Amino acid sequence: MITITINDKVCQCEDGEYILKVAKDNGIEIPNLCNDESVAVYGACGICQIEILDDGKGRALPKLCRACSTQAHDGYVVRYDTERVMRSRRVALELLMSDHSGDCLGPCKLNCPAGTDIQKYLKQISAGDYHGAVKTIKQAFPLPASIGRVCPHPCEKNCRRRHVDKPLSIAFLKSYAADKDLAENTYRAECKDDNGKSVAIVGGGPAGLTAAYFLRLQGYSVTVYDAMKKMGGMLRYGIPAYRLPKSIVDRECEEIEALGVKFVNECRIGADTTIEKLKDENDAVIVAVGAWKSMNMRVAGEELDGVVGGIDFLRNISSGEGVKPDLSGKKIAVCGGGNTAMDACRSAIRCGADKVYVIYRRTREEMPAEDIEIEESIEEGVEYKFLANPAEIIGEAGKVKKVKLQLMELGEPDASGRRSPKPIEGKFEELDVDVVIMAIGQSLNGNGTECLEKTKKGTISADEYTFMTSVDGVFAVGDATNRGASIAIEAIGEGNRCAQAVDNYLNGRPVAVKKPIVSRRKDEEIDFSGREKKERIVMPTRPAEERRKDFDEVNLGFDDEEKVKSEAKRCLECGCHDYEDCKLVRYANLCEINPERFSGKKNDNPIERRLVSIERNPNKCILCGLCVRVCDEVAGKGILGLVGRGFSTVIKPEFKDDSVISKCAECHKCADACPTGALKIIK
Amino acid sequence: MKITVGQGSCGIAAGAAKVSKALTDALSGSGIIPGITGCIGMCYLEPIVDVYEDDGRLHRLVKVSENDAETIADAVKSGDMTKLASLEISDEDKEFLAKQTRIALRHCGVLDPESIEEYISAGGYKSLEKVLKGETPEQVIETIKISGLAGRGGAGFPTWFKWNAARQSRCPEGGKKYLICNADEGDPGAFMDRAVIESDPHGLIEGMLIGAYAIGASEAVVYVRAEYPLAIVRLKKAIAQAEKAGYIGENILGTDFCCDFRIKAGAGAFVCGEETALIASLEGERGMPRLKPPFPAQKGYWQMPSNINNVETFANVAWIIENGGEAFAAMGTPDSKGTKVFALTGKIRRGGLVEIPMGKTLRDVIFDIGGGIKNDGTFKAVQMGGPSGGCIPAELLDTVIDYKKLSATGAIMGSGGMVVMDDSTCMVGMAKFFLDFTAKESCGKCVHCRIGTKRMQEILTRIVEGEGREGDIEALEELCSAIKEGALCGLGQTAPNPVLTTLKYFRNEYEAHIKDKTCPAHECRALLRYNIDSDKCKGCTLCARNCPAKAISGEVRKPHVIDQTLCIKCGQCAANCKFGAVSVK
Repeated sequence: MITITINDKVCQCEDGEYILKVAKDNGIEIPNLCNDESVAVYGACGICQIEILDDGKGRALPKLCRACSTQAHDGYVVRYDTERVMRSRRVALELLMSDHSGDCLGPCKLNCPAGTDIQKYLKQISAGDYHGAVKTIKQAFPLPASIGRVCPHPCEKNCRRRHVDKPLSIAFLKSYAADKDLAENTYRAECKDDNGKSVAIVGGGPAGLTAAYFLRLQGYSVTVYDAMKKMGGMLRYGIPAYRLPKSIVDRECEEIEALGVKFVNECRIGADTTIEKLKDENDAVIVAVGAWKSMNMRVAGEELDGVVGGIDFLRNISSGEGVKPDLSGKKIAVCGGGNTAMDACRSAIRCGADKVYVIYRRTREEMPAEDIEIEESIEEGVEYKFLANPAEIIGEAGKVKKVKLQLMELGEPDASGRRSPKPIEGKFEELDVDVVIMAIGQSLNGNGTECLEKTKKGTISADEYTFMTSVDGVFAVGDATNRGASIAIEAIGEGNRCAQAVDNYLNGRPVAVKKPIVSRRKDEEIDFSGREKKERIVMPTRPAEERRKDFDEVNLGFDDEEKVKSEAKRCLECGCHDYEDCKLVRYANLCEINPERFSGKKNDNPIERRLVSIERNPNKCILCGLCVRVCDEVAGKGILGLVGRGFSTVIKPEFKDDSVISKCAECHKCADACPTGALKIIK
Repeated sequence: MKITVGQGSCGIAAGAAKVSKALTDALSGSGIIPGITGCIGMCYLEPIVDVYEDDGRLHRLVKVSENDAETIADAVKSGDMTKLASLEISDEDKEFLAKQTRIALRHCGVLDPESIEEYISAGGYKSLEKVLKGETPEQVIETIKISGLAGRGGAGFPTWFKWNAARQSRCPEGGKKYLICNADEGDPGAFMDRAVIESDPHGLIEGMLIGAYAIGASEAVVYVRAEYPLAIVRLKKAIAQAEKAGYIGENILGTDFCCDFRIKAGAGAFVCGEETALIASLEGERGMPRLKPPFPAQKGYWQMPSNINNVETFANVAWIIENGGEAFAAMGTPDSKGTKVFALTGKIRRGGLVEIPMGKTLRDVIFDIGGGIKNDGTFKAVQMGGPSGGCIPAELLDTVIDYKKLSATGAIMGSGGMVVMDDSTCMVGMAKFFLDFTAKESCGKCVHCRIGTKRMQEILTRIVEGEGREGDIEALEELCSAIKEGALCGLGQTAPNPVLTTLKYFRNEYEAHIKDKTCPAHECRALLRYNIDSDKCKGCTLCARNCPAKAISGEVRKPHVIDQTLCIKCGQCAANCKFGAVSVK
């Protein structure tokens, strides 16, 4: 027996044993991609490099060595993480990634701000496993029934199925599964044992609730403080019930509470408690207070009775506990083109308004609101005034009487790519109205957060990766921070990552939570021509005449389970089946590589299904040769071989001889050995 | 009277076979049949006919054509050698050989490569006899150690050390040791080994047999690239002759020493010149390098102790045995002993095979022997060591030829390719040429070489095409250092050398391509710009009429102009202009 040290760990082994093996036997993982104990050493990947700092005789070896094929001798001092090794390993991984053409994750997941594993839960839904689907979703966030109803679904906008026919109905499939799950045998995650640490969360909206959920699962004692009567934040008080019934929010909040998260309502920061106090009483504080202040339009007449902020208007309705304001006989002007404007105008209709106008300074094309919202609002009787901007609100006896509109035209595209509106000089129009709703944006109500540094926009300044504010131990997420208000799922994603950051912080680990490094393909690189078209499921809705009278849910929900399953089956399964087990992407993240650093031409070879039950994607192959060697040395078949030279080398049946394939015994040892997702077992 | 026609591949390509036939016809009836020799080494003077008078006086006739056959026959028949005056080699050209010291090439261009009798009469197989009958293998190895002979394939590893390792290595029961000759000469511009095999196959065989005796091998294999058909034919013939004469096979020269001999033709992969890849190829596997250790001396061909040396290394062995290790070691420098053969090509006045003692300078080879740059051009750099080597610039011309001194420049001794460049050669383009080569010839096994050289080649391509960007030089440097550290075999590890040395000595050229979008050597077509000087242009219309892209317009007797958007930069206009009005930048 001899003694060597690997990264300071003293290891005993036989003289001449390979260092990679010694490391493995001692529980040390030296990264490697082409090594497998069942076959002879090969040395292709160059990932397992090590530096021998002392050869036992006081000399350092001048060259880097491959751990897989370097023999251990007494007194060796080995490191696999020196700057020189890491640099070389990074380049090797970057080179591999530069010719690795595949999608670790589907564009749905990549574009979901919460990183929900959409492909996985769609598969579960397609198999009728709704409970499993909810479990999958809840690994990203705890509010699937709510979010499925209201999310503007960036996932669907980026769904590759749109290049074949139409994107999948991801959001509604989610709420379908969540409803089923809520109705029977609700999934509830296990919390880890209490760890004795506590976190206070200010704000019980999507961001706060999500952070609370994940911290509670980690065993923290979590208390959520909220100014309103009930939890849910904007989900409850901003989004009208016809889109998201309050009973759903109730149920999902109950589920969070059931895990042991403490809810303290009607507790306003700055008035009933302070951040400093919470910080003193807890190990960490997360500020997730949202953006509850409607922005002003800065026009004359805003002070008049009858001028109301969009979210104030919506909150007023939602807080009414079923009692809605009576707007019958009234004429309403809603200013703005976003989703809040939609919620406001459609709510106004439901409150019996005589006439509801939406005033927007550009055209329908440029409206940021969801198309379906505009569509349905028109069905419900909303009238649109495009290319018009409120210039003045004219009152009479302190009350709104008219709104004067400056007429606009579209000019050159601005920074956002939208054509910017310009006033047409001297052209105005007046509308008789009783109420003006300003739905042009929302901002932070800064009360109680004075102790935190703010951005130029007046939002709370929080680090992008650690979510830490200017005060140590105080984190901030969601609409209240940085760029300001965005969609719920964005706040939820931050809530999730912030929970990880807080967990890291309280355990002395590096705090930053970064998005994973992945391999991804551009849509234009993909040929969709061979895909069969399948119709997208349509969400049934109540007729406009009926639904405009009340706040009951517009969407009726899917009633045909088979249709739901077949909708889920439309998924193209863009994400790699092997993402969880792929060594390449694991090391890419471990070594924090830049996959684009050496980007260049990629090999593009057709996917092969020649082997009986194995699908081979040569574009994900990293030519580690494991399949070739395992087939030869372990399975004794020798079906596979390397063909061609240089960059275009590819693995094919030995000597390009298709007839050897008949020897395949379907042992799948090749697929098991593959370190990436190049080989897939197909049933 | 004896006549020989130099018929290596180079001579034959220049028409030597036709000359030989014409001479045979012209001399019919005279009783003289022209013989053959291999490569004489003066490629630039081929075909070469040597006429030996009976007293041994040599008349070397150069650049001979079929039409000269009658003249030669006439002179030979009449005995009036003055008739050959116009064909005889000039005194200046004689210097090319006179200044060389030939050991490995001692028989090249002198003996008939297809005649074992000639070889024997020149003292051939005497060295083999000497060792078999009078020396132990250890003594042979000691002689080689004294000689200081180092591997001539490029790495320069001491030959005795490898032989000794193979000698010491225990052979598993029932197994045998192998001696392998690496004749997979793949460097662009290198043709030393081909010349040796084509010109002196017995010299190689004898050297190998001595080696086989020294290490205890009972089988010798020559791995020769299939692109050398003439070498294979002559070597086959020589093996058959040697077998018949009892130098190969059982109980050679009546001793206990037995050694079989065979040839394996390679399938054209450059990487098979790497010894472990060569072994894989010999075993019928895909030619890909294997990990070392185990070294071939421990576990090589069929997992048996094996020794691999290159052709030129073996070509020195018989001479060393005959003359003693000290005689060989007397030549050269403290670090590098003996002679080295170079294949001198490129923009050189006198190109060919040059064998000189180590310790001479590059200037000696290029200017003294090679006669300097063709067409009185300006020397810019010499590329040594092929794709694994590098460029040495003019300011280092006095570098001494010695393994260590050459390595210090960033180039390597290599197998002996010496490509001379003048100032019309773009150094970025040159680096790209070699990276094109290595990227294509990478075996595909290791990541650094397979993808790394490809990425380097892509970057170099965009630089010469005028698409170079900020950061490209740094990316190249990063790739160079990573590939040197990470590639599996010597070929990969040295692949960055052409780029590293050009970056070291000609960085300004890279910068000019990237930043100014100009090629200082005016070689990169995408970066050229042709212009007509309106003061010089006479409006003769010649350029416009001959422009293949119809990019030139103008009225008769008025200055013409080139439409840059149409110009394909072929240079026809500049070549055609009688008034020097077309300039290129």
